[in-house]
Amino acid sequence: MADQSTSNTQPTEYKSESKMKHIVSFVAMILLTVAAFVLVLRDVVPVAWVLPLMLGFAVIQVLLQLFTFMHLDQKGSLYYILFIAFGVMVAVISAAGIIFMP
Amino acid sequence: MGTLLIMIVFGLFFAAIFTGGYNNTLIQRARKTTAWDWLTSVDHKKIGVMYFMAGIFYFVVGGLEALFMRYQLLVPGNDAFVGRTFNELLTMHGTTMIFFAAMPLIFGLINVVMPLQIGARDVAFPFLNSLGFWLFFFGALLTNMGWIFGGAPDAGWTSYVQLALNEYSPGPGVDYYVLGLQIAGAGTTMSGINFLVTILNMRTKGMSLLRMPMFTWTSLITSVLIIFAMPPLTIALLLLMMDRLFGANFFDHVMGGSAVLWEHLFWIFGHPEVYIVVLPAFGIMSDIFSTFSKKKLFGYNSMVFATSLIGFLGFMVWVHHMFTVGLGPVSNSIFAIATMLIAIPTGIKVFNWLFTMWGGELTFPVAMKWAIGFIPTFVIGGMTGIMLAAPPADFQYQDSYFVVAHFHYVLIGGTVFALLAGAYYWWPKMFGKMLSERLGNWHFWLFFIGFHLTFFPQHFLGLFGMPRRVFTYEPNVGLEYINQVSTFGAILMGIGTIIFAWNMIQSFRSKKIAAADPWDGRSLEWATETPVPFYNFAQLPEVRGVDAFWLEKQAGNKQMTPAEPLGKIHMPSGSHIPFLMSIALFVGGWGLIARSWQIGVMGLLAFGVTMFMRSFDRDHGFYVKPKELLDKEAKS
Amino acid sequence: MAHHPVEIKPGMHLETATFEGKNKVMGFWMFLGAETVLFACLFGTYLALRNQTVNGPSGAELFDPVLVAVATAILLFSSLTSVFAMMAMNKLDKKGMLFWLGVTVLLGLSFLVLEIYEFVHYIHEGHTFMSSAFGSSFYALVGTHGAHVTFGIIWISTIMYQAWKWGINTETAPKLFVSSLYWHFIDVVWVFIFTLVYLLGMVG
Repeated sequence: MADQSTSNTQPTEYKSESKMKHIVSFVAMILLTVAAFVLVLRDVVPVAWVLPLMLGFAVIQVLLQLFTFMHLDQKGSLYYILFIAFGVMVAVISAAGIIFMP
Repeated sequence: MGTLLIMIVFGLFFAAIFTGGYNNTLIQRARKTTAWDWLTSVDHKKIGVMYFMAGIFYFVVGGLEALFMRYQLLVPGNDAFVGRTFNELLTMHGTTMIFFAAMPLIFGLINVVMPLQIGARDVAFPFLNSLGFWLFFFGALLTNMGWIFGGAPDAGWTSYVQLALNEYSPGPGVDYYVLGLQIAGAGTTMSGINFLVTILNMRTKGMSLLRMPMFTWTSLITSVLIIFAMPPLTIALLLLMMDRLFGANFFDHVMGGSAVLWEHLFWIFGHPEVYIVVLPAFGIMSDIFSTFSKKKLFGYNSMVFATSLIGFLGFMVWVHHMFTVGLGPVSNSIFAIATMLIAIPTGIKVFNWLFTMWGGELTFPVAMKWAIGFIPTFVIGGMTGIMLAAPPADFQYQDSYFVVAHFHYVLIGGTVFALLAGAYYWWPKMFGKMLSERLGNWHFWLFFIGFHLTFFPQHFLGLFGMPRRVFTYEPNVGLEYINQVSTFGAILMGIGTIIFAWNMIQSFRSKKIAAADPWDGRSLEWATETPVPFYNFAQLPEVRGVDAFWLEKQAGNKQMTPAEPLGKIHMPSGSHIPFLMSIALFVGGWGLIARSWQIGVMGLLAFGVTMFMRSFDRDHGFYVKPKELLDKEAKS
Repeated sequence: MAHHPVEIKPGMHLETATFEGKNKVMGFWMFLGAETVLFACLFGTYLALRNQTVNGPSGAELFDPVLVAVATAILLFSSLTSVFAMMAMNKLDKKGMLFWLGVTVLLGLSFLVLEIYEFVHYIHEGHTFMSSAFGSSFYALVGTHGAHVTFGIIWISTIMYQAWKWGINTETAPKLFVSSLYWHFIDVVWVFIFTLVYLLGMVG
């Protein structure tokens, strides 16, 4: 409620967001997906490299999704970024624990 | 036949809602009753009181279960509660105390106190708050239904597989655990999100994060832990439900499943859960030490840091519950070190409390007695924790009464002492009356002495080799005498609790309204009137520093400086939908337990319908004129 | 709970214009945080159990790259149309928004149809929920994702109806915004599913 009576009545102006940004990001995602499929279906890299590369592509794609489509690049998203980052950390630790300590 | 009947009743019920084919005058009359008022309330104080009272109720239930167990263990070879009955008692004692006593008591205090402490008129999502409570309520009810229908859960509160699978736990017992906790857990997650958004978004003017009272800080960290710790439990319960009800093979090793998987999922939830129930306790203690020492909390910033660090490390230590599984020396060592690290922030806290009292102007009302009793008790629990954190030693202690003694020192000495301290401290804000100090002293001394008599000897029971969760022991192996002392202590705790109940009843019966600020308090909740008006603050206060109300009192002001002009206040309307939603899940859950898919699906569908009801409900609250505004208008 | 009437004009953040809207968006991010951990547990379960096929077919024998590629493309594209819908919402272009949301829902439905076809096919191959730990964990993970898609379709359709009926305002905008966040999150989860379940399964 700290700012409810002041800033709330003055909604922040929307910086006209270009459609271009999203399309570029979309194309990048498609390319990353294709790259992951190619890695698996064609023998372009040694087998040991496939998983790390694939995971790397997935992570980049998800970051793109978060910061363009889900608007985490906008001002005032710091809490969300911190929170999601902590969530991802917990998620990775938990999943790794389950997988590597059977 | 029964299935059909329930489905018809359900169908009629919804037909009535949608066609308006019900008796309208009856509904109108029902709306005027007190019961309807509480059932549909979205007021954080009323929901807090309901959480608190439900928590007290289950605290008594869990306590009775403990007393039955202590009675069984009074003499060797006793036959009062043996075999399955004893297993049910120990399972339900753990489940009840953690999920249905400690959690709701904490949520009760957070609900009542936290919005007042940050200077808010309600929580961020009042509807969700009500839904969270009713889901907890019906989840708890469902879990306890096993006592009457078909047998209570009996696989331990940790419900380890294979034991908890159909083969070794036939009957509906464990199903009650799975579905009851699933429903209550959904409510818990909602409350966590609600509290977190409230604290981040709804602080009054000047209440920066580093000016919040310690209890609010610990509520914030606890909320974060709830949000991230509940999902593993949700998944664990989901998988167990799939295995038991739908023939899946997550845990059945014959079909490739893994028993360790359950332990991982359960303890990834289970260890943060310990901090979920103990961090708010630290917050309560911090507020009480500071108030009754008439001093600012020593090392406020380090306290915030320590709390955050405990929350952070809390997710990286779960394997210390699994040292004897055989995950290997590397895993065990890493998690042992992480566990021992937690002693550092906890130690910071203990020293900060001691230094808060150092040189303070100390007074010793009952709340402060609980707080002071907490320090040595909790430190003992922490010490045995460090002992258990060393894997080679843990191989000796595991599954013995030593472990039982350890976690009761932490959970009773930490959480329960703090909750009772908080009850005495905030009672005037919750109920507008005071608790008797005389009865409170009896309660404290009986419970405190009884606690140590019960659990201190259990360390030795464990070291002498008595395993936990076993309903009897041999005579002439040196265990009788210690067990008898332990049972005697448990009886003292029971008498203390009866005195507490009597104290509550006396306070409800008394007509004397408590003073607004009986303890010469420091934080904003004491700046409200007693009883607190439902809009909390006629004008939201402006905060100038840590211990906001104390600062104003030091500056010679009787009240907080308002941050806004006197005006109409917008408040949310009550709603009966949370109650309906929870009933729908309760019926659906019970249907699944009874292996009646029709009722299960029906309940879920009904839940979906109530979600639509909520989505299309366009009631956006109402405006109210506070008393002060009405007075002013009357004058002019 | 400030409830000041807000002057609505194109190009503003309508979803966070009111206090309730701000709370809703923040609360939803917290919920997505919880969902992250929830799916992480399912991923962990699947990856721990994925080799326990018990005489049944393995992932390498089952998974069809073409089917997965099509499903991925559909879901990724629906994520883009959902963004377009939000951009139309910010311009107060109700018709455009409903169009793009409609496309999103249709894409979601086709994804669902594809998934059901895939599951039916697997069951014929002897890969069922009850056949092995691999089967259980596969259907738990992919099925939970599918349940999220189903819920999203119903949810977005409902809010489309509300937006059509009530217009784009401070009441509907936060709902539209968080449902679109939800839809993107479903796509985020799918990125990891196609990577860690299907592609990794094909590698073996």
